[in-house]
Order: sequence, then C-alpha cells, then structure tokens
Amino acid sequence: MNFNTAHFFESFLYGIKYFPNTLRLVFIPLAIGLILGTVIALARVYKVPVLCKLLGIFVTVYQGVPIVVALMIYNLVFMLKFNDLAGFLHIKTKAADVDNIWVGIFALSLTAVCSISEAIRGALLSIDKGQDEAGYSVGLTKVQTIRRIIIPQMIPAAIPTLINHVVGLIKASSVVMAIGIIEIVAGATIPSSRTYSFFEGYVAAAVIYWAFTIMIEYLAKVLRRHTGRFRRNPYD
Amino acid sequence: MDKLFGWERFFENIPKILPYLSVTFRIVVYATGFGVLLAAFIVLAELKKIPVLNPFFKVYVSFMRGTPMLVQLMIIYYGIPALIDPVFGTNINRGFSAVTFAYITFILNQGAFLSAIFYGAITSIPYGQTEAGFSVGLTELQTFRRILLPQMVRIALPPFGSDLVGLFQNSSLVFLIGVTDIMGRAKSIGAATKHVLEAYVFVVIIYIVISLTIRLLFYYLNTKLEYGREGVK
Repeated sequence: MNFNTAHFFESFLYGIKYFPNTLRLVFIPLAIGLILGTVIALARVYKVPVLCKLLGIFVTVYQGVPIVVALMIYNLVFMLKFNDLAGFLHIKTKAADVDNIWVGIFALSLTAVCSISEAIRGALLSIDKGQDEAGYSVGLTKVQTIRRIIIPQMIPAAIPTLINHVVGLIKASSVVMAIGIIEIVAGATIPSSRTYSFFEGYVAAAVIYWAFTIMIEYLAKVLRRHTGRFRRNPYD
Repeated sequence: MDKLFGWERFFENIPKILPYLSVTFRIVVYATGFGVLLAAFIVLAELKKIPVLNPFFKVYVSFMRGTPMLVQLMIIYYGIPALIDPVFGTNINRGFSAVTFAYITFILNQGAFLSAIFYGAITSIPYGQTEAGFSVGLTELQTFRRILLPQMVRIALPPFGSDLVGLFQNSSLVFLIGVTDIMGRAKSIGAATKHVLEAYVFVVIIYIVISLTIRLLFYYLNTKLEYGREGVK
C-alpha cells in the first residue's frame, strides 16, 4: 500500500488554503439562486402571462445540461468574446484582467437558479389555495398576501430540498477545476504534481468536502428543528 | 479569426460525435445495473443489521454522498493502482483502460445513492405489511417479493428517475480522466480544428434530449403506476 501520510497532510493544508474560493463558488451562486429562484418560482406559480411559459421552458431545458459542459462553453465564450464586449461598452478591462472564478460563479449561479426555483415552486404548490383567498378576503393586496402569508409558510416546506441543493452545489463546485480555477480539489493537488502523490491529494480533498457537507447537514437539522417549531412534524 | 459559430461545422461534427454516445450509455448501463445489485446488498445489510457491514456501509454511503463525483473519480483513478500495484506487483495503469476506472467509480457511486433511495422506499412501507405477510404464512422472501416489492417500486420510481438524469450528466465528467465519451470527443475535435463551440453545443443538445426523454418516460411510468390513487397535484 502506497499512502504517504506526510504528502497527505501537505495536500490537506493546501486544500484548506483554497477553501475560501470554494465558499465563494458556493455561497454567491446560492444567494443569487435564492433571489432569482424565488422570483422565477413566483412568476410560474402565479402564472405571469408570457413569462411563466418562457421560464418553464428555460428551467426544464437548462436542467438537462451538465454543469461541466456548460462551464466549458461559458469559459470559451468568455475568453473569445469578452474583449469585444468590453470594447463595445468602453470598459478598459481585458479578459486577462478578470479572475476566471467569475465564469465559474456564473455557471454555478445559473444551475443554482434553476434547481432552487424548482425546489421553491414545489414548496409554493404545497401551500393550499385557500391561504391566498383568505389573504384577499381580509383586504390584503396580492403582494402583501405573498409576502406575509405565502412566503413564511413556504420557507419551512422548502428547507429540506434546499439543503439538498446546497450540498449538490458544494459538490458541483469541484468541476470548476476543469477551467483552471483553484479551489479545494485543484489546491489539494498542487503539491501532488511535485511529489507525484495524486492519490493522497485527492483523498485530502475528499476529506475536506466530506467534513464540509456533514457540517452543512448538521446545520440543516438544527435549522429544520428551528423553522419547524410551528408545525408538528413527527420526524424531528 | 472567422465566425465563432458556423452551422456547416456544426453539421460536420454530428457524425463524428454520435458514435461516442455508446461510451456514455455503457457507463450508465453498467452503473445502473451493478449499482442496483450493490444497493440491494447494502440495504440488506442495513435492514438485517449485520454487525461489521452495517456501520461500514453507513460510512461508505455518507462518503459517497458527501464528496464530489469528480473527486471520487480521481481517487479511484489514482488510488486503485497506488493500493493494489505494490501488493500484487501488477501494473494496473497499463492493464486497465481509463474507462474501467470510470465504470468502477460510477458503480460504487450509484450503489450508494440507490441504496439510500431503496432504503427510504422500504422503510416508508409500514411494518404492519410485513407482519401481515408473515401472519398468513408467507416466508420472508415471499413477503418481500409479493407485498413489499410492488409497493416499493412505486415509491422508489420518481427519485430513481431523477437519479438517472443526474447520472447521465455526471457521466460527462469522465473526459477529465481521459475517457473519450461525447464530451471528450468534442474536446478532441476542438484541439484538431480549433473550433470547439459547435461540438460543445451539439453535446449540450444530446444531454438535453436524453434528460427530457428520461423525465417523460418516468412521468409516464409514474402515471401508469398510480392505479387509481389520487396523485399529488
């Protein structure tokens, strides 16, 4: 058995060093996904005329695209066309000046928007139509009803699915190493290319991810208990 | 530099990429087939609470669900040679082709994911059903086959479908260890002709078509298996 503990620890430290990059790759798309995803879900559930059909088609189709393929395309288009676009908008920055982590964040954001909008749509659909009617009957406007009655009920229903998507996003964020962004996996294998200990490098990366997802799942459990205080759930 | 996207290049690429779809399909078929067997074994160990295996599989499933597919692929790709070669004096990197490592990873990964789906399906059936089976004199195997399995299939089908969609998408990662699937082929076309966007777009279209087909199929199966039950609207 060839497992060099010293190389493992070196890789582990390198992986930890690039952990903030993974956090950026996870939480910026998550924030964008939560905002846009809620908007898309509301537009689809409340059947905004043309928009709901278009968004429905977009979400369904885009969910069929593997993240790594989408990433390669965005990276390619970014590298070839960014300078033209910047010139057109009279911005001085060149493609070489922009950190390509933003390409990764863009790709992950689109994926997150789609999957989170589906999760929130499912939660919205699980709320009884009578709640809307009750809101209107006491004289609330549509926006007030959504903000004060629907969304507070939607949040606890959406949380279990959302947590799954957060874990999915953490795992998906590893593919950005394919376009040369240095996050946990790429970071942990930096010493490997010198010592040729790729196995140890990847095991170190796996350990970091594993600890991270276990932590998220534990937080999710706490959160679910907290938000589910008002509903009787026999599983908590 | 000429145009970024040309339709004539796009159509030229189709016959070059399409044959490699079989690589993707083979990975998915192996992963699902052997994955189901592995998952059944894991679920059995968990239900019977077999001493050493049960905690081992718990950790195993947690690992497979908690780490990225890409990392698992790399661990298998570099790990199997590193662990086995010194013991048996073999040279696995020479002996195995890269796609074999992809098969192994996807089977192990799917085994873990499917076991979670199956376990959830089995435990969602009330234990009274099993007791009812025993009380009319069915053996354990008969109870499973005639009472639990038909109910289990209905419950496990929707998550199984979305897992299959995810598996197809994940299979696009294998180009990173040098397997030529449709994505790997698209990259090599790009390296040869310096026009890679058309190839990527075609790959995207293939994946979208596959994902929509699987979803439609499972939607149809799901409505078939309703048996007059009221669906969740």
